[in-house]
Amino acid sequence: MHARRRLSAALSWLGPIALVGLLVWASLAARSAEPEPNVIELNSALTTGGAAEHFPADQASKLIALPDEWSNSRPREDGPVWYRLSFDAPVGSEPLLAAYIERVCSNAEVHLNGVIIYSGGRMTEPVTRNCYYPQLVTLPGGLLHAEGNTLDIKLQGYTLQKVSSRQRSGELSQVRIGPLAVLAEEHASKMFWSISLLQIITTATTMLGAFVLFLGWMNRQEAHLTYFGLLTLAWNALTARTWLQQMPFDNGTTELLVCVGFSMLAALVVQFLLSYGGLRSRVIEAILLTQCLLVPMTLVLAGPQRLFTVSNAWYLLMVLEVMVVTVLYLHAEWRAEGENFWPMAVMLSLLGVLILTERAMQYDWFPAPHLHLLNLSMPILLSVVGARQLKAFGLALQAAENARNSLESRVAEATAEMERNYVQMAELRVEQVTEKERKRIAGDLHDDLGAKLLTIVHTSESERISTLAREALEEMRLSVRGLTGKPLPVADALADWRAETVSRLGQAGIEVDWRSPTEDVSQQLSARAFVQTTRILREAVSNVIKHSGASHCKVRCTLGQQDFVLVVQDNGNGIPMELDGKLDRGHGMASMKHRAKQMQGQCLVESGPGYGTVIRLTLPLGTSLTL
Amino acid sequence: MNKILLLEDLPEIRAWLKALALQVFPQAHIFEAARVHDALALITAERFEVALVDLGLPDGSGVDVVAALREAQPEAQSVVVTIHDDDDHLFPALQAGAFGYLLKEQPREHFVEQLQRISQGEPPLSPAIARRVIAYFAKQNKPQERPQNLPHVSLTDRENEVLLWVAKGFTLPEIGVQLNLSRHTIADYVKQIYRKLNVSSRAEAALEAQRLGLFRR
Repeated sequence: MHARRRLSAALSWLGPIALVGLLVWASLAARSAEPEPNVIELNSALTTGGAAEHFPADQASKLIALPDEWSNSRPREDGPVWYRLSFDAPVGSEPLLAAYIERVCSNAEVHLNGVIIYSGGRMTEPVTRNCYYPQLVTLPGGLLHAEGNTLDIKLQGYTLQKVSSRQRSGELSQVRIGPLAVLAEEHASKMFWSISLLQIITTATTMLGAFVLFLGWMNRQEAHLTYFGLLTLAWNALTARTWLQQMPFDNGTTELLVCVGFSMLAALVVQFLLSYGGLRSRVIEAILLTQCLLVPMTLVLAGPQRLFTVSNAWYLLMVLEVMVVTVLYLHAEWRAEGENFWPMAVMLSLLGVLILTERAMQYDWFPAPHLHLLNLSMPILLSVVGARQLKAFGLALQAAENARNSLESRVAEATAEMERNYVQMAELRVEQVTEKERKRIAGDLHDDLGAKLLTIVHTSESERISTLAREALEEMRLSVRGLTGKPLPVADALADWRAETVSRLGQAGIEVDWRSPTEDVSQQLSARAFVQTTRILREAVSNVIKHSGASHCKVRCTLGQQDFVLVVQDNGNGIPMELDGKLDRGHGMASMKHRAKQMQGQCLVESGPGYGTVIRLTLPLGTSLTL
Repeated sequence: MNKILLLEDLPEIRAWLKALALQVFPQAHIFEAARVHDALALITAERFEVALVDLGLPDGSGVDVVAALREAQPEAQSVVVTIHDDDDHLFPALQAGAFGYLLKEQPREHFVEQLQRISQGEPPLSPAIARRVIAYFAKQNKPQERPQNLPHVSLTDRENEVLLWVAKGFTLPEIGVQLNLSRHTIADYVKQIYRKLNVSSRAEAALEAQRLGLFRR
């Protein structure tokens, strides 16, 4: 699974590789293009040295084959060098002919039949750098003969030793004469592939590099971003040497600066790979810095005559450094088992192959292709690696945003929780204070009023007053309970009522039949409802004991959806009617009804002499009961 | 019945209680006290068989006297006589070792009957008390809520059964019928429950005293 993911990641990097391959193919295709029929190719020239204004015909000259690479034909000589080519105007040709010179390094003047017709730029220091610029010279019809034309080319260039790369040493390619239209097309194509494409890519990667550098600047801990940005910019600055024709310095200084530039580039590549792989080391940084200082020193010490040898030795060392660091970096990525390994391995291997090819070309083990492969492919590799880093950065940004969001929501949750707790605590506090106050009032009532009533109960001569005081005390106690009490389960209330009722009736010798729901009673009863109901039931039982003369009493409690019903029924004498038709007030019927009304319920009394009494209390559930 | 301790701060009530006690135990010698301090002094001086103790007193709570009597004279039976009928007063008194709990305003004949019943070894037990006792021992049985080093006191299945019946509102005689046991056997279970309640609460108090550094020995 893991390997498969890595592989698919590697496959997704095939695009850029294909692009590089296309470039290689394009360069090969350009090389093998068939010559046009009307175009003649001049493959040899008479050559002689000299700074004269015209071809020194009096000097000894020799015939050489074109292209003429100075590194082979005259390894120790500088320019200028004169070339004389002879040609006949092609038959049936277009009205306007041109000479196309694919490569002059570094610059050339062209004379036709002794008249100067073209100059590529400055022929003295600083010499115009035309090594990568193809030259198209229009041949004026008036100067042309049908046969025996001479084309003299004065080439200004440098020996291999005075430049840092083989591409910069003096060289004249074959010269082709043909119709202007045909050759102009070829020239434009060559210009595009050698210069314009490079400029476009450089511009694009410069923007990318600047952007990554900016990101690195804003995020200092992501050092690899900074190094990558600098590396891209450095590479592009160095690339500019291929298409910048006019330099403010002479050739020696320019080549030395290029060499120093490469040492800095190598240092940046090493630093980028090390920081990307999390392998940075102070020692390596110090070595790189020393190297950047040593490169110009050794070059100056060796002198301009050995620039190529010394700079190529340095380049070789730098290539080795980059390769070692690449291996170190890839090893670290392999061990980290991240997604980076495969794409980076492919990219870096490609880079390695290109660099080694380039090195081989410098030592002339390998013919240089017509396109500067490294210059074209390097920006592509840089873009790919840069895009990869931007993607990682984007993902990190997204992750940070997500983390921030989740943190925010967690903070909000915590705040809400704290607020809830605070409210709860405040409520609890209020509850506690209220409870404390209730208890204080209850205590005061018991201690003062209670003690006085009690004294009356036990000292009064009159049984009536004693009973009244006892009832008052009982009332007070119930009131206090209503004051202090919390809601209690209906089941507990039923148990208390049952215990008291059964006990009292039992002591009075009255048979009791109590029925109430025993299971599944989950409702709560407010303290007030409990107290009032207790009083009503107590009064009813008192009536049964005192007045009914009953031998049997039935009590029924039922809990419905809407209401609670309590029925007390005895088999006694019933309650005698008063003269006005109302039930006896002495039996406390009025107070029972009043209490029931207070709880939005009702208390019905059915009684008649001879058939006992039925007291039916109905209370609505959900209001008074669960207050 | 020889010596009875009577702790009550109101003179009229004390006189009434004295008359009542003499009615139930005619041969008794009654020692009267109006303050916790006096009662504690009497406990060290005399051996009592019954103590009638009021709770709310000017210099403290009668619960302390109940506890002291339980400690000094375990055979003495403390009966709380009070105006407070709520659990906040009742339960601590039972835990301290009170064997009975009478409300002052009851008519004389009720009072006499209950006092006789208590003296014959039948302690009172209301559904509310039973519920609290069940809750108390349920909490005791949860190891994580029980303080460490506390002797484990738990109720037997039968005791628990009796408590459950009481909590549902059944009277002791009714429970006797339900369980096919005599009224006296049920009373014995209740006494046993009281004893365990007291043992457990005393162990708890001792542990608390130790924690507070109050232990002197």
